[in-house]
Amino acid sequence: MSAMDPTEVFRQEASELFEVLEGALLDLGQRPDDRELVDSAFRALHTIKGSGAMFGFDKVASFTHEFETAFDRVRKGEIKPTQELISVALAAKDYIRALIEDPQSTDDIIGEAILDDLRRFVSADQPAAPVAAIAEAPPLSPAESKQAGWHLYLEFESHILRNGSNPLDLLEDLCKLGPCFVVPITDGIPFLDEMEPEDCYLKWDVKLHAACDKDAIDDVFMFVQDEMKLTLSPLEQVEAPAPAPLFQLLDEEPVAAVEMAAPAIEAVAAPAAEQPAAKAEPKPEARPEPRAEAKREERGIATVRVQAERLDELMDRVGELVIAQARLTQLAASGSDLSIKMIAEEIERLASSLRDTTMGARMVPIGSLFGRFRRLVHDLSRDLSKPVEFVTSGEDTELDKTMIECLADPLVHLIRNAIDHGIEDTATRAANGKTEQGRIELAAVHSGAQVLVTVKDNGGGLNTARIRAKAEEQGLIAPGAVLSDHEIHQFLFHPGFSTAQTISALSGRGVGMDVVKRTIENMRGSIDLSTRSGQGTTVTLRLPLTLAIIEGLLIRVGEGRYIIPLSAVEECVELTAEDERSRGRNFLNVRGNLVPFLRLRELMAASGVPDRHQKTIIISTGETRVGLVADQIIGNHQTVIKSLSKLHSDVTIFSGATILGDGTAALILDVAQLVSLAQSKVEKQHINEAA
Amino acid sequence: MALNPMEPKWSLRLPADCSIAAIRNVYELIREAFGRQERLEIDCSSVDKADVTSIQLLLSTAKTGEAQGRPVVLTSFSQSLRNTLRRAGFASEALIDQHFPQKKDGI
Repeated sequence: MSAMDPTEVFRQEASELFEVLEGALLDLGQRPDDRELVDSAFRALHTIKGSGAMFGFDKVASFTHEFETAFDRVRKGEIKPTQELISVALAAKDYIRALIEDPQSTDDIIGEAILDDLRRFVSADQPAAPVAAIAEAPPLSPAESKQAGWHLYLEFESHILRNGSNPLDLLEDLCKLGPCFVVPITDGIPFLDEMEPEDCYLKWDVKLHAACDKDAIDDVFMFVQDEMKLTLSPLEQVEAPAPAPLFQLLDEEPVAAVEMAAPAIEAVAAPAAEQPAAKAEPKPEARPEPRAEAKREERGIATVRVQAERLDELMDRVGELVIAQARLTQLAASGSDLSIKMIAEEIERLASSLRDTTMGARMVPIGSLFGRFRRLVHDLSRDLSKPVEFVTSGEDTELDKTMIECLADPLVHLIRNAIDHGIEDTATRAANGKTEQGRIELAAVHSGAQVLVTVKDNGGGLNTARIRAKAEEQGLIAPGAVLSDHEIHQFLFHPGFSTAQTISALSGRGVGMDVVKRTIENMRGSIDLSTRSGQGTTVTLRLPLTLAIIEGLLIRVGEGRYIIPLSAVEECVELTAEDERSRGRNFLNVRGNLVPFLRLRELMAASGVPDRHQKTIIISTGETRVGLVADQIIGNHQTVIKSLSKLHSDVTIFSGATILGDGTAALILDVAQLVSLAQSKVEKQHINEAA
Repeated sequence: MALNPMEPKWSLRLPADCSIAAIRNVYELIREAFGRQERLEIDCSSVDKADVTSIQLLLSTAKTGEAQGRPVVLTSFSQSLRNTLRRAGFASEALIDQHFPQKKDGI
């Protein structure tokens, strides 16, 4: 196992921080007064800046610093984040991302232009000088009026530098509040042999000669407040004039700095070095809260970052174990040794529990995916001049990480379609008595062994007549053929099918929905459309929880054995003599409903004599049900999915294979493909009947 | 950045990057120099990236040298290092002398 490249760690962390930043910026557009969002955006920026500098991404650090500085007036509440400002801030975020992920693609001129825009927006409503801002502050209470400033003691946790935080930047920010005297406390510096060079050992004693309020100081340390001790005590009014500020002196001649600052430092340094006055009598509110410390500890052990490949490897191992366990169980069942049977049962139980735990470790909340679509909606809404409200729910719903990765592109297509084709322009909406702002809902919910992801819009709904006309024009159906609306809507998933009258950058080329369907079906999921004219369209994706190990139903057809994913199985019925007599029509009567069925013996070209009592397994994808006729239902089976070789890649009715307890292989049936096959047979029958 | 025996005094020139990204290498260099030299001169003229870790390492070096009775002379503080020292509060000559008694051509 190799250690991870530190810059790669940074890239991954930055990627997560970008999501937080983007989410906060987008939310800020909706809730400009939410201070927590501003703080959250700043925390993300600050960490990107600090970590970037630490890992040698100097351009990232300097650009982010400029971004932070320009955005600082938002943080101070001096200006409100307008939509324009949010858009520029998002562009700045994209630029930082490019600087990290693909620096060759970036151009300093673009970066500078973004910063100029940012500065222009934030300085458009320039307030009076900071002095005036202080003058506007509420008058000090009698107790406070004697206060000449603050005495601070700063002690950071040893790991703070590794996190990318820089105490010197914080000291500099503190000194912006007013004349500031910083005295380093060096008694914690160890000998060389005992030193961890990346740890923080310096502490500081600071006298801030400014009548600012405590919140202003807290603001300076807001990003690191959980990782430091900060004690604050008011400085009493002293008769001596406030000494010159340290950071005003930095650019002056060194001699001047020494002459002016030295006496004050000497005076403060002595007590501070021994025991900081503020630490001796800490103010109650300044004492680090035990709860915060407990929280820090909790956070320390709450998560461990693991490479995704290792989780895949672990899942593979568990898969092998499940197969070996199946073999053991079979072996134990064939013998009469009771103790072996007991061990086999115990191992079966443990393997099953290990499988669940491992699968749980691979589960990721779908919210991590939803977050990125908010930007998509924001940008499309702006580009198409269609105000759209984007609502998400069920972000905590967990799905296998591989599924989450595969789901991103299909959802991008669906959301684009919903905004471009679904949501009407504002004039049309107004004419139809709708609100000007359209609405897209993205939701996820658990449903048995599946997760349902829905994309719902409140637009005009699908134009069934136009879809039908297009399908007839393309020769997909015979003119005048009797088809339900649901069947007509399925043409949208046909390759190259588009009803858009114009091709835009977003859609209209007919490439997309068929790819979406294929991708979802490759994940052993299904896609379903429902629409109401004038009210909108809902696209529902049904996805299995995982792609690695599934519960399957083992069946026999002739001599071959096959697995049907149990999540798709609705029920099993016996093929009656009446159903048998319907040969040629292939419909079952299930409690009064006609369900088409496929004879797997015919499909698999099975040899030998069929079993006398054929069984039918009713499977479903979405709202479509199909029966599969098999010779025997053997039982449920923990199915470790193995990919098919390239030789079998064109056999569409199988989605994979598995190894059974006796070491033989069984093919896994692709439910979506079988349903589609049955449907096409039904359609052909319709056309023949119509002809 | 390596020890140069051709110079009249054994000296270790610190590399340009003494920030946290490279501090462990600098730390190893100094420890190695400590193990090999009786008298150590550390040339800080090339340092153009410094931060808290650089200051701490120099402080620790000075402290260790003093405790072991082996003088460590710090020479030619670069502008970058001086700025970092000032930002950390080492704003006066007196304060720097207090912590780096063996400093030469100082700030």
